[in-house]
Amino acid sequence: MASFLLIRLLRWSVGLLLILFVTYAMMYYGAGDPIRMMFIQGEDFDSEDEVVMLALRKKYGLDEPFIVQFGNYLNKLVQGDWGRSIRLQVDRPVLEIVKFRLPISMQLGFAATVIGAVVGIGLGVIAALYHNRWLDRLIISTVLFINGIPIFVVGPMLLLLLVLQLGLIDVPYGWSGLFHIDAALPVAVISISILPIIVRQTRSAMLEIKSQLYVRTARAKGVPEFWIIMRHMMRPMLTPVVTTLGLVMISLINGSLIVELIFNIPGFGLLTIEGIKKVDYPIIMAVAVVGTLIIFISNFLVDIIYPILDPRVRAK
Amino acid sequence: MSAETASPKRSRVIDDKSLSLEYHRSLWQDGARRFRRNWLAVGGLFVVIAFLILALVGPHIAPYDFLEQNIANAFGGFTVEHPLGADDLGRDVLSRMLHGARTAALVAFSTTAISLVIGVLLGTWSGIRGGRTDQFLMWISDLIQAMPGLLLVILINTTLRRPIINWFDQLYEQTKNPFYLNTLWLDYVLVFSALALIAWPGLARLIRGQVLSINEEDYVLAARALGASEWHIMLRHVIPNALGPLVVAVTASMGGAVTFEATLSFLGIGVQPPNASWGSMLNESLRLWQVFPHLVLSPAVTIGVITVAFVFLGDGLNDALDPRRNS
Repeated sequence: MASFLLIRLLRWSVGLLLILFVTYAMMYYGAGDPIRMMFIQGEDFDSEDEVVMLALRKKYGLDEPFIVQFGNYLNKLVQGDWGRSIRLQVDRPVLEIVKFRLPISMQLGFAATVIGAVVGIGLGVIAALYHNRWLDRLIISTVLFINGIPIFVVGPMLLLLLVLQLGLIDVPYGWSGLFHIDAALPVAVISISILPIIVRQTRSAMLEIKSQLYVRTARAKGVPEFWIIMRHMMRPMLTPVVTTLGLVMISLINGSLIVELIFNIPGFGLLTIEGIKKVDYPIIMAVAVVGTLIIFISNFLVDIIYPILDPRVRAK
Repeated sequence: MSAETASPKRSRVIDDKSLSLEYHRSLWQDGARRFRRNWLAVGGLFVVIAFLILALVGPHIAPYDFLEQNIANAFGGFTVEHPLGADDLGRDVLSRMLHGARTAALVAFSTTAISLVIGVLLGTWSGIRGGRTDQFLMWISDLIQAMPGLLLVILINTTLRRPIINWFDQLYEQTKNPFYLNTLWLDYVLVFSALALIAWPGLARLIRGQVLSINEEDYVLAARALGASEWHIMLRHVIPNALGPLVVAVTASMGGAVTFEATLSFLGIGVQPPNASWGSMLNESLRLWQVFPHLVLSPAVTIGVITVAFVFLGDGLNDALDPRRNS
């Protein structure tokens, strides 16, 4: 068991390093000279500017060879020094910016996951219980339909419907806390995007459990249907659902990119887009690091939690 | 998913024709029969075909040039001259939508073609070689699949642009060939390559799995025992049997590419103006959605309808072409 986790940890860590390396190389060779973009808008610059640029490069450590820069970067990263923003919010420590932005997205993501999980598991269970009947088909088709519509279409359409047509809510704009009415629509849009994953997994898990012998035994004993579902089916059904955490996280990150742009929420996703549009190296690197870390940690968590929930895996 | 939707009732009376010995159906005929029963999938197929036809002939039947500006008619509503209105520069939205269809179809085909080639090559190689090669390739595809695709595509797309432009500038300096100055198509190339880079692992995995499992089948063993060459086995047994899942995967990949292209353009990173793309049209119209909501409608509804059609089509194909389904 321990060795299994160790191998997993090793695999993910090497993967993380590789992705950091590739991202850094792409930034280094691809993103263009940030110092030049920083203070010269245009092609004409004189020798005086060159001197200043050299000094600035030295200041940000951009004059070293690639490998040295990458090593330095990793070293500082571990120590909590993520560099300073070059263009977005000049000279502000990146870690500080991330610390301010990430929690907003995490709140959004958390709320969306809770809603998505509750509704999704509920719908999945209902679909499985009414297997092959019209309710099942309705749920499955709806989920397929939702799965097809991109999140950046859902957002604007809901805006038009709820704000303009029905006049139910004011124009949601910016971030004033999770429990402000403005957060309702963004959360709803993100939870819609993770719903299909959860419904499908729940439904197929439930279908498998429905025909298990211990369920038949419980039914034969005369246990009420409600308690059969809650006591005997819930836990083995939740186990496979937990494994979708990695996929859910990917959807959350993708969702935050789009939803935060639509509703102008200053979270992690908007930071990503701003950083990339302004070619702000340290920000882009930080975004890649955090995004990859979130994915890898959630995958690793699944590896840890799964054997705890399912004793059969532990035995192997 | 909705495999059951298409499944025939057990109690249905079997017609006499199918009982006679001369009458047999191939896998594909069977699949077509099952597919026709699934009306969602058939609807999806029609929408996708319509989309491809419009992408092909759209720019020729468009009432206006997609770049033609008419400021006097900026933000114009739905009229007879401009059925879908006019955008902030007074360009005809219908014409731009038709051009956007071409962009979307181009991305769908190119991305799928590139990732299919990479996926088939690496997947087959991985499946046949096994061992270290297999482990390494699968680890890489694991990594790519574990990453949030959108983030990866954005990174690739933004970082590749400048080196390519610089490279072409250099080439122009050397050759003075004006071809290297035209960078309008650069957006497309970048989007293709970025999307293909994240799309191949899924296809490679599928092919590898198919190669591995089909190689274990008894009919392959029989063919081998009869002295068939590996080539023959590959062409006659493995590939035809892997085709069903591959068709499904290719459909899904095309739908995914359409969505991804629109997403990138929506974020302002993919196909840039003045090229027409549904995603960037949606983005532009969304800036003034409270004042001119009618401009949001056409790109949003179109993207929604097409992506949903691809999903329904893929799902229907999946149910129709998988012989091992809900047995």
